Amino acid sequence: MMGEVVHAPLDTDVAIETPEHIVFRHRVAGPARRGLAYLIDVFVCYFTLFVVGIVVLLASGAGDIVDRMQHAPQTTTGMGVGLMLVLLFVVQWVYFVVWEAWKGTSLGKMALGLRVVTTTGRPIGFGGAALRNILRGADVLPIGYLVGFVTMLLTSRFQRLGDLTANTMVVMVDRARATAPVRLWPPAEPYELASIPDRVVLDAEERTAIELFLRRRGTLGPAREEELAAMMMDPLARRHGLHPQAPAAAVHGRPPPRASRLLALLYERAANAGRGEAPPSSRHETAGGRLSWR
Amino acid sequence: MALTSHVTEAAFVERRNQDWAELERLTQRAANKNVSALEVQEVTRISPLYRDICADLARAQAARYSAPLVDYLHALTASAHSVLYALPPRPRFTFSLRGKKSALLAFPRAVRAHWPTMLLAAFLFFGPFLFGAIASIAEPSFAFRVVPESQLRPLVDGYAKGFSAGRQAGEGAMMAGFYVNNNVGIALRCFATGIFGGLGSAFYLVQNGLAIGAILGYVASQGAGGNLLLFIIGHSAFELGAIVIAGGAGMSLGWSIIAPGTKTRLASLQSAGRDVAVIVSGAAVMLLIAAAIEAFWSASSMPAGVKVAFGVLWLLVVLSYIFLAGQGEPWERT
Repeated sequence: MMGEVVHAPLDTDVAIETPEHIVFRHRVAGPARRGLAYLIDVFVCYFTLFVVGIVVLLASGAGDIVDRMQHAPQTTTGMGVGLMLVLLFVVQWVYFVVWEAWKGTSLGKMALGLRVVTTTGRPIGFGGAALRNILRGADVLPIGYLVGFVTMLLTSRFQRLGDLTANTMVVMVDRARATAPVRLWPPAEPYELASIPDRVVLDAEERTAIELFLRRRGTLGPAREEELAAMMMDPLARRHGLHPQAPAAAVHGRPPPRASRLLALLYERAANAGRGEAPPSSRHETAGGRLSWR
Repeated sequence: MALTSHVTEAAFVERRNQDWAELERLTQRAANKNVSALEVQEVTRISPLYRDICADLARAQAARYSAPLVDYLHALTASAHSVLYALPPRPRFTFSLRGKKSALLAFPRAVRAHWPTMLLAAFLFFGPFLFGAIASIAEPSFAFRVVPESQLRPLVDGYAKGFSAGRQAGEGAMMAGFYVNNNVGIALRCFATGIFGGLGSAFYLVQNGLAIGAILGYVASQGAGGNLLLFIIGHSAFELGAIVIAGGAGMSLGWSIIAPGTKTRLASLQSAGRDVAVIVSGAAVMLLIAAAIEAFWSASSMPAGVKVAFGVLWLLVVLSYIFLAGQGEPWERT
């Protein structure tokens, strides 16, 4: 294969190059996820407001609160209503600024694994948080964040007006856990290794395809597993001189490996064999083929 | 492309995985609390670990190690990057009274740097304000076209009584809440809608100017103008000043899109955004001060002379602060 195949990215990733010349990606959050996070924030805020309201109502003697407000507000009632109005202001204009300047996220965003960063992948700071959140006042217009929604769709990083002005974006926090590499299980037997070539060369796409297949093998029915494996085996077998239908003659009177098993063997040999270290299947193997390195 | 690495994935992971675990632990601690919450040895550990993981990521990508491993290294690099390159010190809002970076001096400097739009905002606010006031004094029914009659009539009753009774403490607190929520909200909205080419800010300025002028004129035409003036004189310098400043900041934002000069429109908007964030934060603080004065002082039963002196004093303070504070050192555009 000549050169790298350039794929137009299907995912909404933003590449960030660090001073170390390492490029990593942030996955940008779309309107649906952000909308949901916003709803959670709104719920949290107004639920708090509601609870405080109940307390204020009880503290000020309840009942005729409206009546008293209109005529002669009592001290406690007036202070309670004043407190509620200040809280309303905090909810509308301060809540997001403080959370995002402090933690880079809000409660709703945290719940959905979102985070606000600058377009160069840094924390946004107080100025950025203030600007992007005050401009909510423009993004909510005319109703239900219509302006913000349209702007998000028009920009490659799903930025609303506040994001564009403050040079920020909302990304999904990649909490990728380290998973064990694909292991061959049960370990290869000598007769199986004898049935495949000594040197197996896979290109990047083949390797990715086989790996993805091996990882989800357990979720497939046996017939479907064989069918998919056979489809992938075809070009590989031809290249390595294996006969697709009868991959290898019976060795030592044992039946030849099936296509799925053969694929796993080829992958194992390509990825792990002949590289100065013993194949991992012969070492620190635990039940289920998992190596605990986390 | 054949596989190039001489190290198997499992061996690579086994060799490096303790460093990754350590970096992950440090990054998480730093992200949850603050970098300054870490021990000195821990902080100095982060950057070599980060450099190593950058190399690991490059190696894993070059060797085409499995996708989950590359994803994991990606995620760890990204989170370590955001800790290592965090703006110092978080949050960046430092408050000092002296020096070039002082927040107190940055505000008036930024306002003066944007004087053309501030001047325009002042015209857009005080023009309709005067028009509304004069028109309502000449013909009181004009005010009903701007503000509903049902809201105007109770005002006259309220101000006709004067301030001999003063306000109860509870009422003051309630009104403080009302002014904070209402007035600061209006100013912030007035600023934010400026992003539409300045039109939103212009609209809010004209509308508010006309409405406030009409109310003033109407109440005056009904004979309670003196009391109303005594009420507003204490806080008007802060309140009207902040509305004009917020509106001017909004129009600066809009103008940066209309006339970006040599920058792209987006770059122009972003650099204007950094300036006006300072201005709007300052205007919000001015409105908070205004709300406190309006709620606890303006309706009090102080003698008229004291109230006038108080109001004039604040007017002078606000004007000299905006026009004079931080003179000599030019506003540093970020």
